[in-house]
This record gives sequence, C-alpha cells and structure tokens, in this order.
Amino acid sequence: MAAPSAILPAKRTWRVVDIVIASVIAVVSGVIFWAWNFSYAGLEFLWVAFPPSSGLVLGMWLFPAVVGGLIIRKPGAALYCEVVAAATEMFMGSQFGMTVLISGLVQGLGAEAAFAAVRYRRFGLPSALLAGFGAALFAAVNALFIVNWYPAYTLPMKFSYMGFCLVSGLVIAGLLSWIATRALARTGALSSVASRGAAREPVGG
Amino acid sequence: MRTVDPAPRLAGAEIVASGWGWRHADRTKPAVSGLDLRVAPGERVLVVGPSGAGKSTLLHALAGVIHEDDEESESAGSLTVDGVPAHELKGATGLMQQDPETQVVQSTVGDDVAFGCENHAVPREQIPARVAGALDAVGLDVGLDASTSALSGGQKQRLALAGLLAMAPKVLLLDEPTANLDPDGVGEVRDAVVRVLDSTGATAVIVEHRLAAWAPHVDRVLVLEPGGGIVAAGTPGELFAPGPVRERLIAAGVWVPGYVPELPAVPASHRASADRTTAARLSALDLAVGRGNPKKNGIPALTGIGLDLTAGRAICVTGPNGAGKSTLALTLGGLLPEFGGELSFAEGTDGEPARPYAWRAGELVSRIGSVFQEPEHQFVAQTVREELEYGQRHARGTDGRPLLGEARIAARTDELLARLGLADLADANPFTLSGGEKRRLSVAAVLATRPRMLILDEPTFGQDANTWRELAVLLRAEREAGTAIVAVTHDEHFAHAIGAEQIDVRDLGDGVVAAGDRGAAQPSRLSLEPGRRAAASFLGRANPLAKLAAVALATTPVVVSLDFVSASVVVAATLAMLPLSGVRIRDFLVRAWPLLVAGLFAAWGTTLVGRTSGAMLIDTGPVTISTGSLEAGIATGVRIFAVALPAVLVIASTNPTDLANGLAQKLRLPHRFVLGALAAMRLVGLLAEEWQVLSMARRARGVGSHGSAWQRTRANAGQAFSLIVQAIRRASRLAVSMEAKGFGGPERTWARESVFRPRDAAIVLTGLLVGGAAVAAALAAGTWNVVWTS
Repeated sequence: MAAPSAILPAKRTWRVVDIVIASVIAVVSGVIFWAWNFSYAGLEFLWVAFPPSSGLVLGMWLFPAVVGGLIIRKPGAALYCEVVAAATEMFMGSQFGMTVLISGLVQGLGAEAAFAAVRYRRFGLPSALLAGFGAALFAAVNALFIVNWYPAYTLPMKFSYMGFCLVSGLVIAGLLSWIATRALARTGALSSVASRGAAREPVGG
Repeated sequence: MRTVDPAPRLAGAEIVASGWGWRHADRTKPAVSGLDLRVAPGERVLVVGPSGAGKSTLLHALAGVIHEDDEESESAGSLTVDGVPAHELKGATGLMQQDPETQVVQSTVGDDVAFGCENHAVPREQIPARVAGALDAVGLDVGLDASTSALSGGQKQRLALAGLLAMAPKVLLLDEPTANLDPDGVGEVRDAVVRVLDSTGATAVIVEHRLAAWAPHVDRVLVLEPGGGIVAAGTPGELFAPGPVRERLIAAGVWVPGYVPELPAVPASHRASADRTTAARLSALDLAVGRGNPKKNGIPALTGIGLDLTAGRAICVTGPNGAGKSTLALTLGGLLPEFGGELSFAEGTDGEPARPYAWRAGELVSRIGSVFQEPEHQFVAQTVREELEYGQRHARGTDGRPLLGEARIAARTDELLARLGLADLADANPFTLSGGEKRRLSVAAVLATRPRMLILDEPTFGQDANTWRELAVLLRAEREAGTAIVAVTHDEHFAHAIGAEQIDVRDLGDGVVAAGDRGAAQPSRLSLEPGRRAAASFLGRANPLAKLAAVALATTPVVVSLDFVSASVVVAATLAMLPLSGVRIRDFLVRAWPLLVAGLFAAWGTTLVGRTSGAMLIDTGPVTISTGSLEAGIATGVRIFAVALPAVLVIASTNPTDLANGLAQKLRLPHRFVLGALAAMRLVGLLAEEWQVLSMARRARGVGSHGSAWQRTRANAGQAFSLIVQAIRRASRLAVSMEAKGFGGPERTWARESVFRPRDAAIVLTGLLVGGAAVAAALAAGTWNVVWTS
C-alpha cells in the first residue's frame, strides 16, 4: 500500500471543535509566551556582544501560527492561533503592551500566507518550514521597518538580525512545530481534527 | 432546526433508533451498528455495557454533536427524537459529560447557566428568569457572580445540569455524570437529576458504570454490546437479579448493584519472591502537611501526624474532601516539602535517616513510589515498554550512579508486561491505551523500580470492576512481598481486598483545619480576571473597548517617535491613572517587573550599538559609549515602558468576558471565535494548576528538575508536551459541551449587553489627550524623532 496522503478536511468551514481546539492551542501558547518573556528577559545578556543575534529566539513567538495551521488545516488557523496567543500574552502582562496584537497579526499573516501558497493541501515538513520562514520574514520586517524596535541598528545589523530571525523561524517555528504536531498525533489527542493521522503521513506531506 | 419551547414544564420526547450505526472518522470499525431502540416520552433508561460498546457515541449522536459531514465518518439507519433526525435538532436534548471541568464554559455561575439560552437565541429579557429557575431546581445557591472555578466537582456538575435545564430540553442525556465524583458528590448530583426529571417529565438516557446509585431511579435498563446492539432489556430488578445477564455484565466489568469482585487466593510463589534484604521504614513525627508556605502565613491542612510505615504494612486513608488526604500523600511521597515536623526514611536497622523531599528524582524512585489519580499525568515516554524502563534507567543510588543494569531492566520490564497483560501493547503509545490499561501501566511503571513504599491517590477511581480486581491482586502481591502501601481512597472494599487497615485522616493527626478557615492560605488560581477591587474600580466598570481605544491613542505617539520626552509623558500619565484602576502598587509591579528588565537591557543594547555622537564617555576598543548613544539608550528604555505600562494598567482591570462581549456585540467580530477564545482562556488557571501537578507526578517517575541546562530544558519540554496533550483533550470535550448547548449556530442573543456610557467617552478622550500631550511636549522640547527617519 502506498503511503497515505494528507487527510484534508471535508469542508473549509470551521466546526466548533476546530474553533475550541485552535483556541486552546493559542491560549496555551500565550501562557508559554508569558513564561518565555521572563526567560527572554534573563537571556538578554547573551546578545549583549552582538544585539542582532537576539533574532535567534524569535521563533519562540511564531510557533503557535505553524502548530495551529498544521493541526487545524483550515484557512485562517495560523492567523487565528497567533493573534489569540498574542492576546492571551497581553492579558497575562507583556513587556510589549498592545503592540503584541499587531505583532501577532503580522506574524500570523506570514504563516497564513505560506499555508495559502500550498492551497491548504499539504501539511508536511516543507509546508511547516515555509510557514515558519514566512512568519519570521513578516515578523522581522515588522520589527525592523514598521514598528522599528531597533532604530539604532545600522543597515548591515538589521539584515543580520533578519538572517538570525529566518534561521530561528525555520528551526524553532517550522521544524520543531512539525515534530510536535506528529508527536501530538501519536498520542491520539488530535482524533477529532483533520491532522489526526499526521504521524503516519510522509515527511513531504 | 426546532425552536425551544419556553414553557417551564415539559413533556419528554420519544427517541427511536432503527438500524442506526456510526463509525468515527479515525476508526475502521463502527462504534455502534444495527441499533434498534424506542424510548417512550418521559421514560428513564440506564444504558450499560462494556467499554467500547458505543454508549457515549449514542449519547453524542442524540445530542447532535457528531455530524454526518465529519470527514471520513459514516452513519447508517436513522436516529430520531420526536420524529426529527437527531443531528438536525437543537435545544431539544441536553448532554452532561463526566469531566466537571469541561462542563463549565463561562467564568461566572450566572453567565454559564445563560450560555445555552443565548446560543438558542432566547430573548434577553427571558434569560434571567430561566437562569434563576434552573439554579433553584438544582439547589445551587452560590450567587450569580460566583466564580465557576471555585466550585466543587459536585457543584460543577449541578451547574452543568442547571445550564441544560435553562434550555428546557425534552431529553436529558447523562454520560457518566458522577464517574469523577466522590461518594458525597455522587449522591448530590444524582438527587438533583432525579428532582429535575420529576419536575420536568423529561426523557432521560443515563450511561454509568457504577449502577447502584442509579438503578432505583430508572424505568428500564438496556444492555449494549460492542457491535451487537441491544442484547438485553428489562427493569433493573429483572436484569440485575442473579442470572445470565448479571453474569455477563460482571464479566464485562460493569459494577452491577451489590457486586464486589472476589480475589483469587494468594499464590505461594508471590510470597517467596520477596527479595528484601533490609527493611525500610518511613516515619512521620509530629508532621504537618500543607501547600502554603509556612513562612508566609500559610496554614497547614493537617498537623501532628505520627505514622510509622514498615515493610508489608498497608494503610487506606479515608476522610472528607478537603481534609488534606492528597496533600498528605504528596508529602509522604517526597513530592511536597513538609509543612512542619519531621519525615524520615531509613533502610535497615542502622540506616542513616534521610529526608525524602531532599532527594533527587532518581534517588526517590527506588525508595518511594507515588501513583497519581490521573494516569496520563505520569506518562513520560513514547511506548509502553519505554514507560516501564524509564524509572529503572533513571534510578540512582545515593552515590549518583545508575542503580540497575540493562539486563535487570529488560528482565523486570518483560516480567511486568506479562503480569499486567500489556505484552501485546509494548510498542503502543501510552496515551492511546484504554482507561483500564492506562491505570495498570501507571501503577506498573512506578512498581518497576521496586520502591519500598508505595503511595497511591484514589487508585480505583472511575475504574471498571475488572481493572479494579487486577489492581487489587497486584497491590496485594506487592504488600505480601514486603512493600509498604498508603492509599488515599473512599473505597472500603479495596482496602479490605489488599488487606489494609483503614484510618480516617482526622484520627491520624491532631485535627484538620477546616477548608474554609484555610481559604486565604490556599494558593489562588492563576486567573486572567481582575481582582475584586480592580473590577469595582472606575476603569474596571468601563467598557473594555473604550479602554483599549484609549491605550491605542495614548501609545501611538511613542510607537511613532523614539524620544525621551513623549515616552516620559505617557509613563507619568499612566502612573497618575493608577488609582482609577483599583490595582494595588504591589500587584502592578508584579505584572510590570519584566518590563523593567527588558527596558534596561534594551537601553544597554542601544547604548552599545548606537551611533557615536557627542562626547565620548567610554572607549575601550570594541565598547564605545558616547553621550549620544547613552541618550538613545535611555530613550529606548523609556519607550518600552511607555508602550507597555498603559496596557498593563488597563488589562489589570479588564474582565476577559466583558472584552469578548464588546468585541462580538460592538465590533461584530465572529462570535464563534470570540467565545471559543474566551472559553479557552478560562482553562488557563486550570492549566497552571495542572503544570504543578505534572511537576510532582513526573518527579515521582524519576524526571529530575536538576542537572544541566540541556537536561532541564528537555524535562521542561516534556512537561509542556504533556500539558498540551491534556489541554487538547480538554478542548475536545469542551467543544462537545459547547456544541451540545447549541453553540455554533448563526443566531445568538446576549444575556449581558455591552454598552457605552459617558465614562467611556471620557476614557477615550483622556487617551487622546495623553497622546496629544506627549506629541506636544516632544515637539516643544525639540526631541520629536520619528523612528522611520532615523
């Protein structure tokens, strides 16, 4: 028997269970953000020598978009998860204030664009990496050129920051999210959503 | 779609199944097939049968929460309520499930009862009367504003019943409504259900494993078999009388009224297998247990405990809820620090006494094993075999070296797999096992390291009679082999079966501090809701949308400009508003401290990399700090405060429910998504508690919180993964509860209207003024510095 191809939802519309599972993933992620913000504050010393290297952990803020998209497999899942995660982080108290909502929106759009590019049909490793990359690209452009968190950086520094961000997006948000989704599918926890068979699907989706 | 009958007193509906069947999307075999059934209006039927017979599937189908349009699922035949196909009706049936935590959707009692009415578009003016009537009918008198997370399990189930009742359903579907409750809770919920059925005349379909509590109150019992439909039907008296049906149910592990499993005689070989060379002893001397911090005015749950556990002694600890039984078990297990007094473990007669809490996880597992109530909390590996091996691999002697060799590990693992009938499942993922298999695995995984003491919290809770018997046999054998056992349990038969003495927790120590008196000392649940004072403040009673608009207006200038002056104006204005929010300075600082760190580091980073200008302050080759870069650094730091502090202030006084109401009613965001996110946010407090339970449950399996940064990261990642698995499972059940209450339809009413008042206009105006003042001040000072131009 050939390897099973990706299971696709019968309908593109969201069922109640899709909404609730996506929401819970997002809220848990928001709590992880909140906890991570403390660790991040403690890690600041790592980047003191070359501040743009802080982009290396950006992926920690991007994974909900990729995990949400991989698990729910419906249009809007990546965006919704990232925005709700950001809102949860804001509710718990974040050093980024209301700007987290904008960041969440932009990052979610980056991942959403990647899933849209594969027309919500493929959810393997390449799609996950693309979504992590897309989220990181949007996030870096937002941080460097729109909100401009780092006005003091020179242009080469800005581009090296972006490079660090993209690596982080590929590894943390892309690769790790894909591994986590397959591990979750193996526990049977995803039995009521379209990704229930993710662990049995080929790596290429 | 049918409308809800607003009449408070209803006749029941008729349920008819003909040749009905259902296959779930992720299964190859149907859960139910060829079911023929008729339940008369107002009839009360109890559905029993082995696990896997499709009892829950039938109830879910009647509740309209499984859909034919689900991917890959299949249905056959027909299932109707009053002649209408079950998946088309909304509001005629109400479903109650077993997990109290996922029955509750909203954060206050009043909102939660109103939830179903709102989903069925009951006009707002009718909702308060329905809510009051429903709460009255279930006897829940805690106030509409009471927090749902503070209720006991039994109260949560009665709340869920009230929520169903407010929808005025014609059929009540109860899926093991009392399986997660202690005996008091069972009686409390059962009585409420019977009262409600008596007064409404609704039809009831009840699924339960423990039948004694329900049998006297039902008209008929149906026995469902996997793939076989209904194999027997009759009155409780007929079916539960001695005879073939009773035998069949007993063989399937059903708790038929009056049945207590009998254990086989102790085989002689088990007595001989004891390989204890030295006796171990766990001694409590004037021990106090509690979860609070003794140094911070904590009050213990239980004091003056004296206990001596020696080889082969078994104790079952009984007593009322909230008496500190679980806290005692965790303390004896070396998972919670002693609140006071002494707890020591010694091996042999001249062994050095040691303090279990001070051990590393690897040292703990071979001495004291703790089995948690929820098996999944203790799963740490990917397969059943690895699960049994894990503790053995991580067991360490006092010298920090591995205690067991590979050959011994393999032998012990094979022995346990065979003894527990799990050999065929050795490569299965532990999370995918059945409830009984999970229970057996979690006990075996702890026994694998041969601990001298075994501590169990409610090991038989929710288990069928077959699993119960296997557990009893296993633990009896352990006790015979010299393991000391402490079990917290309400189950007298179990205590008798393993040969344990029963001790009431109140007789174990000086006395129990009543849970009510402990109130303030109990760790409060992490909550996204504002405190009482903040909620009642000027800002707390304002519309959240107005507050967010004000924050956006006030912080826009500091996002646009990087300068010290505008940022300082915003920070100063925010601090000046603090009294309006009712947030205490201390709480504000607790929420805001990461900002201070972030601001300082950002300032440092900018100072270091900023373009050199002005006088040079420090110049040591790569590190240069000039007055220009220092100014930029300070501006960066203050800007971070200015962006974040207004949001901290507003959020600290904002209730997520009010925000959701505003977003859905005023901004017209899709209500399904807004309410879905809100329901998920209610779980945050629960998840935070679960995180702490997981820490202890995993320590009891040998997962250490010590070690290198990499080991700690791995341990934390594993724990986060377990938490996410639990969260997604909860989400699936919560989705069923919400959909069964009619959630997801296009139309909806709102019991609480989101309104704008004059104070909201004042708040928006204030935000605008602060933003304007920031711009004006910066322009006047000449520091205005748009970030995109620098």
